[in-house]
Amino acid sequence: MMFETLLFFAFSAVLVGAAFGVILARNPVYSALLLVLCFFNSAVIWLMLDAEFLGIVLVLVYVGAVMVLFLFVVMMLDVNLEELRKGLAGYWPIAAVVAGLMVFAILDVVVVKHLGGVSLGAAPPLPADYSNTRVLGEALFTRYAYPAQIAAVILLVASIAAIVLTLRHRPGVKPQNVGEQVRVSAKDRVRLVKMAPEKRP
Amino acid sequence: MNAFSVAAFNSGLTLATPEIFLGLAGCGILLLDLLIGDERRHWTAALSIAALLITAVLAAGVEVSGPVTALGGMFLVDAMSQALKVVALVIVAVVFVYSIEYMRHRGILKGEYFVLGLFATLGILVLISAASLVTVYLGLELLSLCLYAMVAFDRDSGRAAESAIKFFVLGSLASGTLLYGMSIIYGVTGSLELGTIAAAVQGGLATNIGLLFGIAFLIVAIGFKFGAVPFHMWIPDVYEGSPTCVTLFVGSAPKIAAFALAMRLLVDGLGGAHVDWGQMLVVLSVLSMAVGNVVAIAQTNLKRMLGYSTISHVGYILLGILAGTSQGYQSAMFYTITYVIVAAGSFGMILLLSRHGFEADRIEDFKGLNARSPWFAGMMAIFMFSLAGLPPFIGFWAKLGVIQAVLGINAVWLAVVAVLFSVVGAFYYLRVVKMMYFDEPVDAARIDGSPLMRAVLSANALLVLLLGIAPGALLVVCAHALP
Amino acid sequence: MITLTEVLTLSGLLFSIAVAGVFLNRKNVILLLMCIELMLLAVNFNFVAFSRFLGDINGQIFVFFILTVAAAEAAIGLAILVVLFRERRSIDVEDLDSLQG
Repeated sequence: MMFETLLFFAFSAVLVGAAFGVILARNPVYSALLLVLCFFNSAVIWLMLDAEFLGIVLVLVYVGAVMVLFLFVVMMLDVNLEELRKGLAGYWPIAAVVAGLMVFAILDVVVVKHLGGVSLGAAPPLPADYSNTRVLGEALFTRYAYPAQIAAVILLVASIAAIVLTLRHRPGVKPQNVGEQVRVSAKDRVRLVKMAPEKRP
Repeated sequence: MNAFSVAAFNSGLTLATPEIFLGLAGCGILLLDLLIGDERRHWTAALSIAALLITAVLAAGVEVSGPVTALGGMFLVDAMSQALKVVALVIVAVVFVYSIEYMRHRGILKGEYFVLGLFATLGILVLISAASLVTVYLGLELLSLCLYAMVAFDRDSGRAAESAIKFFVLGSLASGTLLYGMSIIYGVTGSLELGTIAAAVQGGLATNIGLLFGIAFLIVAIGFKFGAVPFHMWIPDVYEGSPTCVTLFVGSAPKIAAFALAMRLLVDGLGGAHVDWGQMLVVLSVLSMAVGNVVAIAQTNLKRMLGYSTISHVGYILLGILAGTSQGYQSAMFYTITYVIVAAGSFGMILLLSRHGFEADRIEDFKGLNARSPWFAGMMAIFMFSLAGLPPFIGFWAKLGVIQAVLGINAVWLAVVAVLFSVVGAFYYLRVVKMMYFDEPVDAARIDGSPLMRAVLSANALLVLLLGIAPGALLVVCAHALP
Repeated sequence: MITLTEVLTLSGLLFSIAVAGVFLNRKNVILLLMCIELMLLAVNFNFVAFSRFLGDINGQIFVFFILTVAAAEAAIGLAILVVLFRERRSIDVEDLDSLQG
């Protein structure tokens, strides 16, 4: 199908362009936003490769959580951009990089041409009632139950590590104690005082 | 791919008892740590050590008759996995014993160090028992993520944060490279399971250029995790920059994990392509022995010196693996286990001499140790002689084993290079010994340290001596593990 | 139809752009982290494509785990970065020269 190929090339072109933008942009905020663009384009290409669940997860988890975390840290750290901009002195690294890129692309083509075991032709057709999510779910909760548990431990470790490294108890902070606020009753706060009536002076 | 059966999965759980127990113990200790006050934090340490020792008993108790895969083909138990697990668990327990006093003096005795250490150990166990690329990757990441956090653990030390970020960036790059290699191997062989990959490689894929390309990426990642030249840049910085208790952790048990990583990927999965990866490992091995031993001479910081010494020892371990014979694998396993025991002891000595506000991490701090404490000077001498590979200490048998293995494949020039650089290496270890016995002490403080730590450290040193005099038992274990 | 060659070439390009980015942005840690994310994206492309063309779901499961681990990795990396910034008021890696030699 011509149209699908055309779409693939269009999205790939945007993807590669955005990837170059990520590494060349001088402002980390631009880089982060271009990386978001990369993820969106990748998600579309994954959808075209019939990996629907992963395409959606890429947008929801990566763009929705990880990249927001990146943007949050970039802005919180308030990095001095002028300082970092001085890094682009001399063009030799770029030249080296371009050369390396060419070598890699050639190697890649060689690999692609010589891959054994994989039919380079069309992908095997999928049945009409194929559900990517269902197939993934079945594999994940049967044969991959053990790796899923390890992945859970990895997420636990990530949260422990993030808290250990960044949580600080600063002296002099006045936090609210919601429990006490809710438990309070009228007689703790308002004191009714009986007074004798006074004459107007 | 066999059909999945719940009954088979459940019966496989008994093989994974050590992993399940350690994971649950980690979670339990994490919760208990919340209830323990700061002044009784050593309870967390005691519980963690107890958990590790119980896990070691459980791991030793798993009945193994030949390699068995379980848990949906993700998990493998064999004689090698059992031996490596027991050693790794005991070593981590010893590391925890050494760490308590040091952390208390610096006000960083926190429960999270032990919890992260337990989960890192769980990662090592998962990696040792991996039967699929998925479990190899997950085990490795569980270990690495815990290590990154532990290196940055002392939040008030800029140097620790700095070495953590270097470690993190280089480690993540290595993981990315590993994954790229794995993806190509998946494409070429059509499977993620090491057994199926091995069959596909045996079945005529060994000369496939795509596979070779994938292997090159894997070698980069394995080289990094071992700390082999030219992927060694993180080792000296991390060893010097992190708190010594973390250096001790990073420098000991993860080496067993790196050995397991190499064995699982290269031997179990890609054994049929030995010609390809063997040649790549030759380069890493020779460079590591050369750079590690030569640069170590110029160091004044003991932690940094031991870092370069690690790099050189990695060269010898790779020498055993690259031989590609079962004699070679056995000698590499023997080398790894003995190196880890000696490394734990020598970092333990730095921890013993350190005290409140003083870090005994310069080589001069060991000057005249004999005058201060003849017993511990003797211990340190045993560790240094063993690292240098002098008989009758255990390091000698380890070096002899790998050199015999390369002679077994008629690579005489490699054996000559190995002997030559071990002579160069002996110089800087003996310099430490000379300083301890023939120089005047610059520091006259009494050596204190908990009785438990002194006892374990002494036992550690005596074990090095004992195994050196009678290495037979450990050799039998290695021969049984890798027939 | 998309062919395997096209997807693998795209993934190879992405991977080399990521590697180039690591060399270009050696000074800026936060960009280094983004380059690592880009590298993992290239890997995921490989797995998704191979999984589709082999007709084997395992590759997609691996991508699922890579996404999980990458999220955890990003969290820890950014936490270390925040610690470093608090100590040094800078994330410039060339400032990090107290460990040399």
